[in-house]
Amino acid sequence: MGRRSLWESMRMSGRSIAGSPVRAALTALGVMIGVASVISLVALGRGAQEEVAGGLQQLGSNLLIVYSGAPRGTALVRTNISNIRPTLTETDLETIRGFPADMVTYVAPASTANAQLKYENRNTVSTVIGTTPEYTEVRNFRPAYGEFFSQSDVDSRSSVAAIGMQVYRDLFAPGTDPVGQRMRVNGISFRIVGVMEEKGDAAQDNSVLIPITTYQRRISGDSNYAMIAIQAASPDVMRPLQATIEEHLLRLHRLPSMESADFYVANQLDLLATVEGVAGTFTLMLASIAAISLVVGGVGIMNIMLVSVTERTREIGVRMALGARRRDIISQFLTEAVLIALGGGLIGIAIGVGGSWAVTEFARIASHITPISIVAAFGFSILVGLFFGGYPAWRASRLDPIEALRYE
Amino acid sequence: MITMTDVSKEYRMGAETVHALAGVSLQIDSGDFVSIMGPSGSGKSTLMNIIGCLDTPTRGSYRLADEPVERLSPDRLAEVRNSAIGFVFQTFNLLPRLNALENVELPLVYAGISSGERRATARELLDRVGLSDRVRHRPNELSGGQRQRVAIARALATKPRVLLADEPTGALDTRTGSEIMDLLEELNHDGTTLVLVTHEPELAERARRVIRLLDGRVA
Ligand SMILES: Nc1ncnc2c1ncn2[C@@H]1O[C@H](COP(=O)(O)OP(=O)(O)OP(=O)(O)O)[C@@H](O)[C@H]1O
Ligand SMILES: [Mg+2]
Repeated sequence: MGRRSLWESMRMSGRSIAGSPVRAALTALGVMIGVASVISLVALGRGAQEEVAGGLQQLGSNLLIVYSGAPRGTALVRTNISNIRPTLTETDLETIRGFPADMVTYVAPASTANAQLKYENRNTVSTVIGTTPEYTEVRNFRPAYGEFFSQSDVDSRSSVAAIGMQVYRDLFAPGTDPVGQRMRVNGISFRIVGVMEEKGDAAQDNSVLIPITTYQRRISGDSNYAMIAIQAASPDVMRPLQATIEEHLLRLHRLPSMESADFYVANQLDLLATVEGVAGTFTLMLASIAAISLVVGGVGIMNIMLVSVTERTREIGVRMALGARRRDIISQFLTEAVLIALGGGLIGIAIGVGGSWAVTEFARIASHITPISIVAAFGFSILVGLFFGGYPAWRASRLDPIEALRYE
Repeated sequence: MITMTDVSKEYRMGAETVHALAGVSLQIDSGDFVSIMGPSGSGKSTLMNIIGCLDTPTRGSYRLADEPVERLSPDRLAEVRNSAIGFVFQTFNLLPRLNALENVELPLVYAGISSGERRATARELLDRVGLSDRVRHRPNELSGGQRQRVAIARALATKPRVLLADEPTGALDTRTGSEIMDLLEELNHDGTTLVLVTHEPELAERARRVIRLLDGRVA
């Protein structure tokens, strides 16, 4: 089909649509609703997916955590590990620290215990975490006010603490400067050096961070670590790094295989993949449901086009008598179906984009319109028009000119 | 121009076979004016449809301008209709949504002529049939005679060599019908071959030659 005849088909179809605009609008309605729901549901799915993935990134980037004990579920960050006997040794830690810089960026050991906090006459219960300054890097958890304790605090087993935002709220009146104040952790006096930023995560916001050495000496009396948090140098090295760590620690712990290991390595990649997989499946499911309505819209187009072909039988006969070839008739009706579907699709895109925006703006539900979903909706509208307009157009082109002319 | 040899057209109606045409042979020269007469059901329209390449014969040969057209593909037939034939129908068959100008342009659309050229040709033709002041009118805004004039202008759009008119005055009163006949005759004088089907003897008489059909045969 040449450019000119395509243009002529579009003009003819445009006229025909303009001749019965209400019918055309109702015909396009199905596709419109289908496209609008595909666009907005995919946007909501994507929004949810990104929100969850973003939440995971907040935990720290390229994060691997070696935990004491046998594997428990797939959680990357386990909140309640205080009751597990620490099995990770100083040698384990030094071995991991000894890995080359192109694999490991930061390493922070950590052990935790439940703690009773007291400041003046206020009490609260929280988790005390013994660790090193690298913890701030690995877990992407930084002081909002004051500072974190330093390596020299670790070396000298100082009684200093950085407190979570929740702890601050529980113990201090609003506006009070806690830095330099003394609080008691399980009865032991600590000087507060900083308040950590708020993470929206109870485990971190309700924690007290102290030097690991102080923790070992004064809280647990155990020289092992409950966990070792590691920031890998890049996402690419996370899996090899996990394998290397497992291999080294198995040898150090004199164990045959991971099945019998007294430690395990949680990998952020796995969690991310799981979460994104679930969210992706969810998005796909929403999109498929919406796509069904698109198909239903297509069937609507086919229905109306068949009626239209019957109604215009005589017109088709006249056109054929005047020299319209089969392909001219096909392109006329196909163009009409595609224009109707595309019109519905474009309005549907506008509604979908507007709807997602409104949901995010007014209901604070995350949504993300991806260009690809708009392009796909556009393309699918055309395909729906072609597919469901195809049969009516073919029927029209197969009419016998004489019978069509005689049609009342 | 038109040479038919032993042309038959049969329709199957269940077990029965209707012989709409039963061995028609005829010759119509270029520039000729021929009337076809005959009682209802004698096969006049069937013959016109075959001459006009809307239909193909069941048997026999038909040459239009020395080209055998009896076995052409539907699309080739459409091209022949477009370029060589002009139809004038009893019921006009104008497209109701298009105005006079656009109706006249229609054959030129299928001939692949550009829009500007089409417009100019269509205006010229409407002028020729005396409707230069009605170009923007839709068929339902025109009288029967005016509609038939638009239809004639449309039939002339691609400058066909043959004009086929199947009872062109059948839906018109005598005076208007006579005016339409004047117009058709004028076109024949300018060289277009004219084949006219009519039931009215005084119109048929105007032709150079009258072919009478009876039960699908030339009587
Ligand atoms: N599609 C068809 N199926 C079956 N029979 C048909 C068909 N078309 C025409 N016929 C038959 O062929 C015969 C000739 O029909 P045709 O229309 O050519 O007659 P006509 O001479 O034009 O009549 P009129 O003067 O009434 O227009 C008729 O008997 C008609 O019933
Ligand atoms: Mg007839």
